[in-house]
Amino acid sequence: MAQDVVHSQTSVPRVGVTLTVNGVDHRLDLDSRVTLLDALRDALELTGTKKGCDQGACGACTVMADGRRILSCLTLAAQCEGREITTVEGLAAGGALHPVQEAFVRHDAFQCGYCTSGQIMSAVCLLAERRAGSDADIREFMSGNLCRCGAYPNIVAAIREVAGAGGGDA
Amino acid sequence: MTTVEQVALVGAGVDRIDGPLKVTGAAHYPNDFTFPNLAHAALVRSTVAAGRISRLDTSAAQAAPGVLAVITHENAPSLGHAPDTFLSAPPPPLQDDRILHHGQYLAVVVAGTAEQATAAARLVEADYEPAEPVIDIHDPRAERLTDPWGMDTRRGDAQAALASAEVRFEATYTTADNTNNPLGLFATVAAWDGDALTVHDATQWPGYVRTALARVFQVPESGVRVLAPFVGGGFGAGLRAWPHVILAALAARTVGRPVKLVLTRPEMFTGIGHRTATEQRVRIGAAREGRLVAIDHESTTTLQMEGDNLEPCAAGTAAAYACPNVSTRDQQVRLNIAWCNSMRGPGEAQGNFALESAMDELSYALGIDPLDLRLRNYAENHPQLGLPWSSKALRECYEVGAERFGWSRRTPQPGSMRDGDWLIGYGLAGVSFFWYQPPCQAGATLRRDGTALVRSAVTDIGTGTYTVMTQLSAELLGLDLEQVTFELGDSDLPPGAQAGGSGLTAGLGSAVHAACRDLVRAFLDMVRDDPTSPLAGCGVDEVTVAGGRIHRTGTPQRGESYTDILAAHGLEELTAGGASTPADPQELGLAPAGPFGARFVEVRVDPDLGLLRVARIVSVIDAGRILNEKTATSQIIGGTVGGIGMAMFEETVTDAKTGRIANATFGDYLIPVNADVPDMEVIFVGRPDRFNPIGVKGVGEIGLVGVAAAIANAVHHATGRRIRSLPITIDQLF
Repeated sequence: MAQDVVHSQTSVPRVGVTLTVNGVDHRLDLDSRVTLLDALRDALELTGTKKGCDQGACGACTVMADGRRILSCLTLAAQCEGREITTVEGLAAGGALHPVQEAFVRHDAFQCGYCTSGQIMSAVCLLAERRAGSDADIREFMSGNLCRCGAYPNIVAAIREVAGAGGGDA
Repeated sequence: MTTVEQVALVGAGVDRIDGPLKVTGAAHYPNDFTFPNLAHAALVRSTVAAGRISRLDTSAAQAAPGVLAVITHENAPSLGHAPDTFLSAPPPPLQDDRILHHGQYLAVVVAGTAEQATAAARLVEADYEPAEPVIDIHDPRAERLTDPWGMDTRRGDAQAALASAEVRFEATYTTADNTNNPLGLFATVAAWDGDALTVHDATQWPGYVRTALARVFQVPESGVRVLAPFVGGGFGAGLRAWPHVILAALAARTVGRPVKLVLTRPEMFTGIGHRTATEQRVRIGAAREGRLVAIDHESTTTLQMEGDNLEPCAAGTAAAYACPNVSTRDQQVRLNIAWCNSMRGPGEAQGNFALESAMDELSYALGIDPLDLRLRNYAENHPQLGLPWSSKALRECYEVGAERFGWSRRTPQPGSMRDGDWLIGYGLAGVSFFWYQPPCQAGATLRRDGTALVRSAVTDIGTGTYTVMTQLSAELLGLDLEQVTFELGDSDLPPGAQAGGSGLTAGLGSAVHAACRDLVRAFLDMVRDDPTSPLAGCGVDEVTVAGGRIHRTGTPQRGESYTDILAAHGLEELTAGGASTPADPQELGLAPAGPFGARFVEVRVDPDLGLLRVARIVSVIDAGRILNEKTATSQIIGGTVGGIGMAMFEETVTDAKTGRIANATFGDYLIPVNADVPDMEVIFVGRPDRFNPIGVKGVGEIGLVGVAAAIANAVHHATGRRIRSLPITIDQLF
């Protein structure tokens, strides 16, 4: 049994992939096991996207792929050829904070800040999807993003404010 | 200089200084750091809970691609033992073949990439000489420790008073193991340069980790630097130097390259401590009109096989009520379980659940409103020390909370309040949190450009330390917020206290107060004999600071700016250090008070659908002076969310036979999600505390305490079912 595993170890293929992240193309040669999350963090040094469980259960690694929120820990980098990936580093265009980022600061919608990138990426998508119509909707659709510090009421308040101001399409 | 009496009780809700970094992904947590030529480590863990390792085969792992080293107890060097603090230090890992708990580290595999290390770690084979593990709190084989910290209390004669009481109540309460589970995976990145070691670590106490690593590796402490400018939460988990921290440094030393070790989520359940399960018996004697005559509180918590854990659950009861006869006893039983450790409100969280549930039960036995019962037994002075409190506004907490919540609308009969299909329950709990203040140091520098740098080797684990210490420093130096930088998270800074025990703001704040005061004094010293200076001959108590200037109190025109004084003396900057140690209660004639609080909860129960929902929570907190309304409110809200978790969701399930944690993932160990948490109201009351110069008490933990009892009491009010076992799950309710 162990022999078989060793065999598969020695034959882990590498994969060439072009990742388009925040509008920039990156040609990478990766171990085929590398997730999008690890490629972003380790290969591209975009460490804003966080690893909270590596099991798709906490939402800290949420990024946008072609405008949809995905869990980058459950996505292999090799699956992302040709997809437009947006991370938290890509939100603040030209140095100005995105309205959701501003609202998170104003409403103290985070404490340690570790889940924050994922919360913000989910919130941005939620608003784009027009699913932030009520507090109950915001709570429900943000429930895939865990916050252990317990900033949930402030997260709801931040998203509510941006939704009320037109949805953060700015 | 400014004193606390002159400032508002609740300070401005300034946005977090570090907010922009955190919302843009630019705040760097320990596992965000890298070094050139970085290698990666992965851990191998025991799959039995007790016994010995009989054979370890690492040959396949060593032959796997990219592997640089496999370190086990068979080839690890002898390591020193880190010093104990108020918590005992875990022994260094990989020193022998004994297995004391499931998930104990057997090996660390180091490879060129994380994928290679993880894959190779799976190839390590272990055989065991297993022993029968001791897992159950009631196992007669388990060693039992009585009064482990010398904190048992006794006043009057509780047994005699119970025997003769008009009304007697007794019940046993249990709470489950909980796991801290900060979102940030604990990580250590270690790089050696000769005997010098630089470490990025998820710690709440960089200075301690530095000392620990220096001792373990027997290198000079001055060469060890521990960095933690941002930490992805801790809730107590970062208060010790855990085995993985040592293993990361050991791996780096072994392979001669920097090494990163990031715990997996399942490893977070066994490697960085957890809140212990408890079994608590509470007996109360009362007079029919509601006066308490006796309280007897006995607690048993669980404990790992080696080392200690500070988890006093019963001890806090001694100070909760004015009752003449009280006995509290804490015990621990040693089990083959992973390390027990502080988790937000250690001891208090479980002890309060038992006491405040029992008080609710007693209120029904007496036919007295639960709020009334608490007010009738209000402790005006510290009941154990017999001294006046340094501050206490618990009565105001109850009164303001009752008003805001609408407690008077409550009809006492269980099941008597409905809204359509929903049964409604109102419950409350009082909280008297312990006092704690660690010693701490800080340094303050004023520079020629008029800005200040204030520093201490503390951490901001999300509590807002960066922000509130910037505010406090600006106030104490008379500067604008923008002119002050507060630096932390680096063991090379002046020795700082741990972010733990709800004591950092008082300890650090007092040190910052001392440093800023000494800095102002240093400026005054420079001009003391200068006849041209309007401040000549002034003492520090005769001046006020404002607008970047020091002036004579009452005459703002008679003053000088910091920058003018520096320029006149040809100096680029001036620095002062400050240290704080807690005051002596006997000297002050005051009992040091921790924060107090009253929690009011409405739950809704749908008996047909089997639903339990928390509908709203009002928390009124006396935490002395509040430095920042926004971040302090967040601390209470966040603690309350943790309390909802403890009350309704969180249970670390250990397999009774194998000692394996059966739900060590976020998919299986439930914590509150956004949809579980209602809006809540947080109100601060009281006065600045008199035990430290800045008037603060802690807000980091009290938010969690009392929530479980208030929810359980509300559940009883809604349904008539008294749940004495946490978490309150649907199967217990229907």
